[in-house]
Amino acid sequence: MKLALVTILGAAALVAQDGQDQSTDLNVNSRYTVESVSFADQRHYRLSSSVLEEMRRLVGSRVNDEAVKRLAARLRSELRAHDVTFRLARGGNPESVKVLFTVDKGGSNFDFSIPKFAYNSRQGWTGIGEGTATVGANAFTFGALTDGDTLAERFSGVKTKYERLALGTDRIHLGFEFDAYHEQYNQATLDALENNPSSSLGAGAYRSRLNFEPSATFVLAKPLTLTVGLSFEQLQPQLSAARSESANAVINTLRYHQRWQLSDATKQDLDAGYSLRAATRLLGTDLAYTRHAVNVRYGLQHDRQLVEVALVAGLIYGRAPLFERFVLGNSATLRGWNKYDLDPLGGNRMVHASVTYGYHIMRVFYDTGAIWDQGRTPEAKHSAGIGIASGLGILQKGAFLLAVAFPMRQGHVDPVFIAGMNF
Amino acid sequence: MALLCFELFALSVSSEDLFARRAADQLHILAPRLHFLAGKTLQRLHDGLSVPFDFHLTIAAGSRNNVVAHSFGRFTVSYDVWEEKFRVVRLGNLRKSGYLSVNGAESWCIENIFVPVNAVPAGKDLWARLEVRSAEPKEQSSLLADAGISIATLIELFSRQPRPQQDHWTLESAPFHLADLKQ
Repeated sequence: MKLALVTILGAAALVAQDGQDQSTDLNVNSRYTVESVSFADQRHYRLSSSVLEEMRRLVGSRVNDEAVKRLAARLRSELRAHDVTFRLARGGNPESVKVLFTVDKGGSNFDFSIPKFAYNSRQGWTGIGEGTATVGANAFTFGALTDGDTLAERFSGVKTKYERLALGTDRIHLGFEFDAYHEQYNQATLDALENNPSSSLGAGAYRSRLNFEPSATFVLAKPLTLTVGLSFEQLQPQLSAARSESANAVINTLRYHQRWQLSDATKQDLDAGYSLRAATRLLGTDLAYTRHAVNVRYGLQHDRQLVEVALVAGLIYGRAPLFERFVLGNSATLRGWNKYDLDPLGGNRMVHASVTYGYHIMRVFYDTGAIWDQGRTPEAKHSAGIGIASGLGILQKGAFLLAVAFPMRQGHVDPVFIAGMNF
Repeated sequence: MALLCFELFALSVSSEDLFARRAADQLHILAPRLHFLAGKTLQRLHDGLSVPFDFHLTIAAGSRNNVVAHSFGRFTVSYDVWEEKFRVVRLGNLRKSGYLSVNGAESWCIENIFVPVNAVPAGKDLWARLEVRSAEPKEQSSLLADAGISIATLIELFSRQPRPQQDHWTLESAPFHLADLKQ
């Protein structure tokens, strides 16, 4: 009797084992662990957080044909591609493989995106539209924009960029960017320029700005990258008889972006960067200055709750033009304040911190920061707001936010309405 | 024109391509000139994907249309990107091959599709016919979702014409007698 029971249990175990084999072990490579999931052409596609999450989930697991095929189908749908295929390549050690997706965009291989779109009830609309055509490892981008949010001035125009996505190795990217912008100024900025000739500004108002920017990005150790390059900016003065000025700078950006999946429900995200722009006489610049900026953003998501903490700070030595100066009081910093009330010319010193708590689509945020010029006493400002955002992802691409923000000051309450995506 | 050539190749029928042999109480076949692991399929395998193939073997007695025995099988072939060898799994009974060369993988599939001798009448002219099709992606997932392979699904698959994008091969033997087969 005992023997019969053991035999039945043994047979049942074999059947169960066979059943498992049938679903997971049809591909001999299913014994290997996925080391990484990426795109064969090294392009950075704009993907939703859920697809990125699905890609991350594959890493560290055994190769599963069906899971990879499902992901390929999702990528095809999200990228509106003609086809998305994948292949396995040997990983860094004999027990691992890399999953490499190839996106076939069909004849066009063209991607259109809206990197930023925002409305601020005090400062108006901002919108950036970009189209990118990719041919092999070459990407050509053309964009049109009007941005009244990022700088003290509104700049509108076009940006074009050529990128070589891999130079012998996928650890080196090259880029050549050319921008042409027309500038518009708020009356408060023009008044401040007229009344404050002794400011640390390196140039007054200019009507247009041309920029040529060659750069190279090195993947030092994933996810740490270093971008080095040059920026040659030509500023055309408001009065056509006046001489144009140049702001030619060496640019360096060090960036670290890492995501961790602590469990099925808990994720962390860290994005940190340091950028240096040094306009030096060696490059024939008319305006000499050095601009440092750091930013750190940390996000923790657990189930439907998330907390984000962001810190940015910057300082400028020398006489920098308006477009280099720091601004607070826009759709991302000191939300609720008007940047023209805080400092219509921007400042050469800035520090800002922000905390956001989210539950499902609800968001509550608190911003604090100060902007000032060297030699003056900084005055901290605070604001708070409430809104709704799409999705639950941290630093989510495609996120849409509707918010009402209130500057914290004595006297009247003057809320600002903010709407937008991808800012 | 290319499509026409492909169709002619895919549907080629030759009595020189399929041979019957007997192994104990089983009737097996040999198809030395059949190479279904080639071209894009081979490239997909080298890329680490698994590729299923459906096999349908029929034995006719008395006339070519009088089918007296048949066997279906789905074989999933994959290529180990580290070992650089192929492996085949037969669904249903879940038999697995060891590591094989490309020709070895093809032969393993052929060796594992057979009919019992007692299903075949002795003393009559016999014909063997083998049809091989690459599985379509939709059919792959529906079959894999099942706990085991569905013979009914395979019968249904082979009852209709292969789709234009589907690789397929059909081979027929010359007439033979059971008693003449070497064991």
